[in-house]
Amino acid sequence: MLGLHHLGDLPTVALPGQTQSPAPNGVDWISPLDRPEAQVAHLLRRATFGAGPTEYAQSVKDGFKKTVDRLIETPIAEPPALPGADDATQEKPIRPQDLIAWWLDWMLRSPTPFGERMTFFWHGHFTSDFRKVNLQTPFIYWQNLTWRRMALGNLYGMLYQVTIDPGMLRYLDLGTSTGRAPNENYSRELMELFTMGVGTFTEDDVRSGAKALAGWREPVTQAMYDAVVKRAQDQGRPIPRNLKVDDTKTGVFEQQRAYVGGVKFLGLTKQWDVRGVLEQILAQDSVAPFIVTKVLREFVADQPSDAYVKRLADGFRRSRYDVKTLMRDVFMSPEFLAPASYRALIKSPTELMVHMARALETPALAKAIGVAGQGMGQLLFDPPEVGGWPSNASWISSNNVLERVNFAQATLTGMAKIPPFKDAHVTHLDGVVSPATAQLLNSSPDDATRWLILLASPEFQLK
Amino acid sequence: MKELGGTNGLTRRDFLRNGLVFGVGAQALASGYAAVPDVFARAVLSAKSAQVQNDKVLVMIQLGGGNDGLQTVIPIGSSQYHDFRPQLSAAAAKAQPINKDVALHENLKGIKKLYDDGKVAIVQGVGYPTPSFSHFDSIRVWETADPTRRQQDGWLGAAIVKNYDSLGHPLVGCACGTTNVPGMLRDLQATLTVIDDVKTFGFQGGQNVENVMGTLYKSTPGIYGALFDTAMTTVRDTVAQLRTSSAQYTPKGGYSDKVNLVYSSKNQLAAALQLAAELIVTGTGVKVLHVTLGGFDTHYTELNRHDALMNYLDSAISAFHDDLTAYGMADRVMIATWSEFGRRPKENASGGTDHGTASPVFLIGDGVKGGLYGETPNLAKLDQGGNLSYSVDFRAVYQEILTSHLAVDAKEILGQSFDRVPFVKTPA
Repeated sequence: MLGLHHLGDLPTVALPGQTQSPAPNGVDWISPLDRPEAQVAHLLRRATFGAGPTEYAQSVKDGFKKTVDRLIETPIAEPPALPGADDATQEKPIRPQDLIAWWLDWMLRSPTPFGERMTFFWHGHFTSDFRKVNLQTPFIYWQNLTWRRMALGNLYGMLYQVTIDPGMLRYLDLGTSTGRAPNENYSRELMELFTMGVGTFTEDDVRSGAKALAGWREPVTQAMYDAVVKRAQDQGRPIPRNLKVDDTKTGVFEQQRAYVGGVKFLGLTKQWDVRGVLEQILAQDSVAPFIVTKVLREFVADQPSDAYVKRLADGFRRSRYDVKTLMRDVFMSPEFLAPASYRALIKSPTELMVHMARALETPALAKAIGVAGQGMGQLLFDPPEVGGWPSNASWISSNNVLERVNFAQATLTGMAKIPPFKDAHVTHLDGVVSPATAQLLNSSPDDATRWLILLASPEFQLK
Repeated sequence: MKELGGTNGLTRRDFLRNGLVFGVGAQALASGYAAVPDVFARAVLSAKSAQVQNDKVLVMIQLGGGNDGLQTVIPIGSSQYHDFRPQLSAAAAKAQPINKDVALHENLKGIKKLYDDGKVAIVQGVGYPTPSFSHFDSIRVWETADPTRRQQDGWLGAAIVKNYDSLGHPLVGCACGTTNVPGMLRDLQATLTVIDDVKTFGFQGGQNVENVMGTLYKSTPGIYGALFDTAMTTVRDTVAQLRTSSAQYTPKGGYSDKVNLVYSSKNQLAAALQLAAELIVTGTGVKVLHVTLGGFDTHYTELNRHDALMNYLDSAISAFHDDLTAYGMADRVMIATWSEFGRRPKENASGGTDHGTASPVFLIGDGVKGGLYGETPNLAKLDQGGNLSYSVDFRAVYQEILTSHLAVDAKEILGQSFDRVPFVKTPA
């Protein structure tokens, strides 16, 4: 118990009588973000999935600035290949649980967790899901690899890859859209959800955009080709005549399926192609503030001020949409370490559970996390809608609070050996806990109970 | 200390809510939950005024993605329908005629039977002025009952706050078969229950862990503090409630989620409706329930996918109605479907349809005055974008639900009055 008693003695939270402007429960967290080690922990909770004791210690030693440099400048490590995924077919589909565990395992073990955090961010922004795309092709798997490769690059380059991504071609139907009968799905979401935001374009732009973007189809892998041939032979049918293997992991453009002729799109009339469409979109003033707002809501605060958004958006546009520049600006901005940003965001289920596994130094939890995510509203590769995942307060319902507590309890119960608690409340909670949490930690009979209190606490749900 | 109303967007209502959580609400929880009163007694107890003490229940079924109304209530009498939809119009020949103009989708067999029994109202051409073609924007319009997009709270959340004591009785509003609070129920001042899977809804580690969590989630500081504490209080209350109700309830309808949808979110509409039935028949005081079936965003190969969705929807609703009938409660419960928009009359190159406008709403229950309402969509008179015009404002449907079914003040929630769509048999 030694070392924990001070929790209750320290005035880590303001008591009701001391507050002048009451927050919801009368008190607010006292921000520790003037302390270097708390700054680093705050950064690691948001820019990664929270740190285990080793990474925490190293980062505290390095300090905030150097840690930001390391996170942003280290090239993103690629995960090991998912066996069989490149050769997925109707007969041998990727199993969803394998795909989910594969990514979670890399979130837990990757030497560049910021890269995984950014891949996760884009996964919720440029959405696709394995239900519509299905797993009888490698497309969703490839998409994850592509998003990671593009995660810290340039938005223009990323949007190009997103547009011709085989999974995306199927998810938002661009792969079946033709100049003669354009499908509007991708054109609309490209502007509304991916770049400009609702209300910044007209229905005519949607229709023109659909024409301008048409002409792409999905690629065919050798395994998919072989499977089609075998099925045809087994059923005594001729092999489809136009079928051939594509030597590419992106969509394939077919001029005869494209729209020929000029259309007016976002105010400009000409003959378009994907690159032209993207350049025209990125020339709109709405793009930088839209992307920046989304980034800030995920990394800094739920409702960033207009001035803050504008400042970062201006820099983002000046950098010609360089994502690395944007993320450095975010982490180095005074707002990031301002008291108002402390515990101002709620961890998504994935962030929560990966942080738990890191805190408990038990990397073998990928499968369990994958399964539990569904009950908390976050089955990876299956966002609830094309708009992506909920955020912050939307994560909290009676159902989800129960599931979060249950995951902590089940994980601890299933562990053969629980690591010593030591000063986990400092490493993971900056020593800033509510009176209720302090009292329970102080009165816990053993480390298993202390870990349960810590991982299930409201404090740990926040980032 | 942070200042109130800073970048964290704290509002006065957060604070107001806090006062309630630890004032009235806390006392109600401490004293009122030992025994479960008779059917609906809790709802009566929780009603804020004598005018809202009826025993009616509302179940909203969201058809997520934009249900194709023209494939649901098919305009068989329209020649344009076949012209616009060379592939999709295959559904017309097999559909179940209601009159010479329209027919129900062939897989809505159970709903057709209920329709023939006078228990289904179909309001045609439901929409709103200057429609949005964005899923999120239009969902928000339907959720908040505000086409001007100023309102943040859900219309049912507002109805709950204004008429019931949800803090003392969090099961007044409940979402089943989902993990997050649906937008229609959302309101900063409302306490709501969400139950994804009733079979696993309980504390691992049992009473001991539950007690610890009750202590841990108390007076939590910060902008989300009350949110966390209320959620935990609601969990504990719901766990206690389910312990009692599951012992009192055996399903009497043929619920099945074993369907092969070509593409959809999780298949648990039937399970969600079964849980809804359990909460209704065991007298938990539930008034407003929300369930969702996704997969209606049929931009491609719509025919078989929509067929499967219709089949699943029909079987789940039929089982739910059978169950309620067997428990003698089908006259108290109204089912209402909603979807953010219908779809474009002209099919696209992918054998699907793009985002459209007006579409039909179904109201089902023994208290419903069956029949067709609104105007049959006129495919000969589309707007500039090739879309249908609406004939009934969706808020007129809400108004009838609020006024005639739930017996609460609709104008207080909708802000204005609409022409009545009289689909309630005996208005409250």
